[in-house]
Amino acid sequence: MLVADRVAQLYGQLPLGIAASFALIIVLAYGLRDSRQTWMVGTWAAMALVINVARGILWWSYQRGERGSSDAEQWMRWLAIGTLANGTVWGVLAGLFFHLQPAQENLFMLLILAGVLVGGIAMYAASWPLYALYGAPVILLFTYNLMAHELEALQALAVLVPVFYAACVGVAYRLNQLFLSGFRSQHAFRRLNTEYAALNKRLARQLEELSDARAQVEASGRKLTLFVEGSPLAVFELDPRGLALHTNPAAENLFGYAASELNGRAIAEFLFTPEQRIEIAARWREMLGSRRPVMLLGQPTRRRDGNAIVCEWSLTPLVNAEGRVISIIVQGSDITQQREAERLKQEFTSTLSHELRTPLTAVIGALQLVNSGALGVSGPEACEMTEIAERNSQRLLDLINDLLDLEKIESGKLPVALQPMPLDELLRESLVLNRAFADRFKVHLELLGAMSPARVYVDRRRMLQILTNLLSNAAKFSPEGGIVEVTLQDLGAGLRIAVHDRGPGIPADFHSKIFNRFAQADMSLTRKKGGTGLGLAICKRLTELMGGKIGYDDRPGGGTTFWVELPKYTAGSA
Amino acid sequence: MTAPPLNRVSYIEDDEDIQRIVRLSLERIGKMSIDIVSDPEEAIGRMIAFKPDLVVLDWMLPGIDGPTLFRRMQARAETCRLPVVFITAKASARELEELRALGAAGTISKPFSPNDLPAQLRAIWDALPAHARGQP
Repeated sequence: MLVADRVAQLYGQLPLGIAASFALIIVLAYGLRDSRQTWMVGTWAAMALVINVARGILWWSYQRGERGSSDAEQWMRWLAIGTLANGTVWGVLAGLFFHLQPAQENLFMLLILAGVLVGGIAMYAASWPLYALYGAPVILLFTYNLMAHELEALQALAVLVPVFYAACVGVAYRLNQLFLSGFRSQHAFRRLNTEYAALNKRLARQLEELSDARAQVEASGRKLTLFVEGSPLAVFELDPRGLALHTNPAAENLFGYAASELNGRAIAEFLFTPEQRIEIAARWREMLGSRRPVMLLGQPTRRRDGNAIVCEWSLTPLVNAEGRVISIIVQGSDITQQREAERLKQEFTSTLSHELRTPLTAVIGALQLVNSGALGVSGPEACEMTEIAERNSQRLLDLINDLLDLEKIESGKLPVALQPMPLDELLRESLVLNRAFADRFKVHLELLGAMSPARVYVDRRRMLQILTNLLSNAAKFSPEGGIVEVTLQDLGAGLRIAVHDRGPGIPADFHSKIFNRFAQADMSLTRKKGGTGLGLAICKRLTELMGGKIGYDDRPGGGTTFWVELPKYTAGSA
Repeated sequence: MTAPPLNRVSYIEDDEDIQRIVRLSLERIGKMSIDIVSDPEEAIGRMIAFKPDLVVLDWMLPGIDGPTLFRRMQARAETCRLPVVFITAKASARELEELRALGAAGTISKPFSPNDLPAQLRAIWDALPAHARGQP
């Protein structure tokens, strides 16, 4: 880098040096033309001019050429050759033409030589070795010339000339150091400048990115505001101390306070009793600690008018990149009506259960007493009629029981008492319980194949309900005199009960609906054979409640296989 | 040791139709004597007069419900040792447990079969420990 700079500096001064050389050569040639041999002066001048023209060409090529730092050394070498040649021009002058007579020309030459040497210092300030190279031929040839003379004064001069030369080189060296430090500073400055420019550019780019990001944040902020303002939920933004920063219109409407009344205040003091606030404060600390959302379910919340509503609250902390909680988004939804609807539904179900069962108890009881013959025997047609009445009352009761079951399962209120049980025993028991029913359809229930002693984790009563459903369905749909085959298969991780019948099968258009409520492929069969149309829907939900799966396959050769799969019970699996 | 037979039953029930069915069931099929009370406020007085072996209470009664009446019976020296069977339309496991915790001798869920009712009551009676069959 520095070499390139020095080369540039040296080449920059080269035209001046060449011009000065030309001028001096011409002046000298003119001044010496009479006192020295003309052909010698002419030859010297011609050589000197050629050398300087060559230096001109060198300068010209340097100006045109590329100036990469890798070439700088080469240019320096070329320059050194030119300089040496030019020094030789003056050296030849000093060596050939410095004679004793006439003294006037000698003085003239001496002055010019001194000028050439001193002027060179400035010219080669950027490189003292170059200067030394320049001066060396002059001094060598001049000193040699002076020593050749017998005259004492000239010999003394011969000693002084190298001293003078040494002094000049010393000055050139000092000057060179000065130049170098100048170059160094210039370099440092240039580097700083480049770095500064790059820094500036980067800064500008970052500023641009920052302004983009701000625009994005503002846009999402506007969107968020739109959501919050338009939300049907009450939304507050609270600071970590619980003071409101923002209150949306839904919150104003729900609780009856204006945003301006709540903002900057602790909203808990408006909405909750002191006892509630203690509990909520604990959850609040939990949320701030874990930085995770917390839910406050079914909180009675006071409105401004004093009425209490039931709200479900969710508290979501907004956490910045450093993990600090900036604010908390609190959403509240009024579930008073939902709660009331749930309560009414429950009350309705319970009332339905009692109010329908009581009259049915009377109806079925009365008919059973009549049909038992305990009250005397009626005519055969009367008997038939009371039996029909009893059977249909029983159906109505089954329907009510099934509907209540389904309702309880779906509202998650069906209590299941899960315990480990051997499935093969339950299966045998269900066969015994349903044998009488199957006999009515003249169908035989048969247990086939090996039984696995593995246990499952089920509610005994509900498991029997499922099996009874599957067995009674199979019996109902089997042809008279048919056999319903029941198998228990060990699947490794689970057990599979399968009930195979030789019934009419399930129509293709009915496949997807079989486990729906009131799904019966042929409604006329319902009337003929009984059933509520809820059995399989209940089976499916009960099976799932106990962690199992239920399904069916068409049976090759006609009929259907219904199956239930349950995971095996292993200690610790509960 | 064979248990004394179950002969006398007090039945507290407000529904007249069910009263008649239960009367027929217990008298004709079960060959028992039955005293039926419609108004639960009168029940304890009637029990003291009738001296039943066993009391059958409906869970839902007008004015005071079955469990409340049961607690009142337990507060009276004359009725506190009578075995009580509840008839209930509620069949959830939790409610049955509640009844056992009250000290009920047994439960029968609605709807019950009048043909089977005498046998069901006798089964509960026979399963009682001897000291629980004491007369008031």
